[in-house]
Amino acid sequence: MSRACKVSEYFDSSAAGPRTLIELDDVKVSLTGHTVLEGITFSLDEKMFLGVVGPNGAGKTTLLRVILGLVKPDQGTVRVIGMTPRELKHELHHIGYVPKAVLFDPMFPASVFDVVMMGRTCCIGPMRFPRKPDREAVRESMQLVGLEGLERRPIGELSGGQQKRAFLARALCRETRILLLDEPTSGLDLPAQGQFMDLLTRLKLELSLSVIFVSHDVQVLARYADEMVCINRTMHLHGKPADVLDSDRLAEAYKCEFDFLYRTGPGAPGAGATSGARGGSGSGGA
Amino acid sequence: MLVYGFGQRALVGGLVIAATCSLISFFVIVRRLAFVGMGISHAAFGGVAIGIAAGINPILTAGGFCILVAGGIGWFSRKGRLHEDTVIGILFSAAMAMGVALVAVAHAYNLDLMSYLFGSILALSWVDVAIVAVLGALVISFLVLFFKELLFFVFDEETATASGVPVRLVYYGLLITMAVTIVVSIKLVGIILVSALLVIPGATGMQLSRNYRGVIIASMGAGLASVAGGLWLSSRLDVASGATIVLVLFAVFLLSVAVSPRRRYVAALLGRGERARASAVAEDVTGKAVVNAGVPDV
Repeated sequence: MSRACKVSEYFDSSAAGPRTLIELDDVKVSLTGHTVLEGITFSLDEKMFLGVVGPNGAGKTTLLRVILGLVKPDQGTVRVIGMTPRELKHELHHIGYVPKAVLFDPMFPASVFDVVMMGRTCCIGPMRFPRKPDREAVRESMQLVGLEGLERRPIGELSGGQQKRAFLARALCRETRILLLDEPTSGLDLPAQGQFMDLLTRLKLELSLSVIFVSHDVQVLARYADEMVCINRTMHLHGKPADVLDSDRLAEAYKCEFDFLYRTGPGAPGAGATSGARGGSGSGGA
Repeated sequence: MLVYGFGQRALVGGLVIAATCSLISFFVIVRRLAFVGMGISHAAFGGVAIGIAAGINPILTAGGFCILVAGGIGWFSRKGRLHEDTVIGILFSAAMAMGVALVAVAHAYNLDLMSYLFGSILALSWVDVAIVAVLGALVISFLVLFFKELLFFVFDEETATASGVPVRLVYYGLLITMAVTIVVSIKLVGIILVSALLVIPGATGMQLSRNYRGVIIASMGAGLASVAGGLWLSSRLDVASGATIVLVLFAVFLLSVAVSPRRRYVAALLGRGERARASAVAEDVTGKAVVNAGVPDV
């Protein structure tokens, strides 16, 4: 009860300026003896869309796991909605999470409705069963992502894009204030990626969400994000998408593996794709 | 057969075991724990041997031993960086070897041991029935009360963890309830055949429904009918009850395969469902699902 009050107090307080929902200060994480993240410092204000980019193995997923409280940092502090990771454990229904790839059996015997209902698990509570408000919340979030009418369809029968939207609905059918997405568009073709990103931008505005979107696709993220962070074990950049795209330090972060993508690829500075992306970032951030 | 007390006890005990196994069988199938079931049940031989050698009720020692092995499988595969099947391969062969060695040392190759290997449902006492009922109720309660957490866990462990589902508790809970179910079921069909009760009902359910509610109902139906039918048939034909139950269960599974709505894929392969196959291919190529027809894309 006191924790719930803490969250609502946090949001009800009429403090001047935007509230900071996520704060990481000098976070260092080691997994099995190797340093995966180091010197990570950034904050996310409410209703902002933060794009986290970096090459494969840069520690992007670990960063999300740190925010969720699933990985304990060796050093530094993490605050989410003003709570420590320990306090957050009981408030995870304020965070929606869309994982990288859900490797489920296509024959899994659950309908889309059942899968979205999984998102309500933490709201329903242990040893309790879904009730009318839970079913309504599921229907509502399925409507938000445009999956109404497919409630009874087995999840394995949906197309890739529809499945991603189902997982987005699952992340939204709770009291979501922060949405964490881990490469949710991987495996989708370009039109489906665009549809997903447009949907996300619309939902962010409609539901006043704060979004952290992890991807290694700099170009796509730059079009939609308000702010971007580039990491490759350490923080390389933090700023507006246009500034991040312009910076040499982006190439530095990607250097070892992805230099060709940025320097000589179709998205190199000055190329049409990049200028389009920059133009897009302005409207996306508006 | 039902006019005799042993027949009544066998039927009541058998049906409780069938209900328990059929429910857990759903999770065994969707989480692919069939080999875990094999491993735990064969490891039970080691537990039975400890009981026989030490002069303690072998079911008690097998229970404790199976829970240890189930916990070991979970712990090693989560912490020891070994795959589940590797851990099972190691633990169950070691446990069986220990069982064989203990039985040899205790000179206990006798009828009693055979009853654990092949089941002895007709030798059930009312006290045994009560123990089976209590343990069955505990297992079913766990599975029902934590059903949504278990379903989330087996479908998408990562997001379940991120949603605050106590996945470690759920995983070990599932393994331990499997161990308890196996030990209880040894009375019915024996160590050798017990994994059939954990696998076939769920597999039958999967043939008949594409939603877990239907799968569980069909699994329950298959399990209960096979145990009742198997017991009746074994008394008519005078064949070992455990083996008859498993054979009836297998026949029910074959029947479910024959009538399964999923067999349209087989029909497609045979050329009769060419159109269904064609539309499935169209879905892959365009990236737009046929199932989405009529639903506005966002």
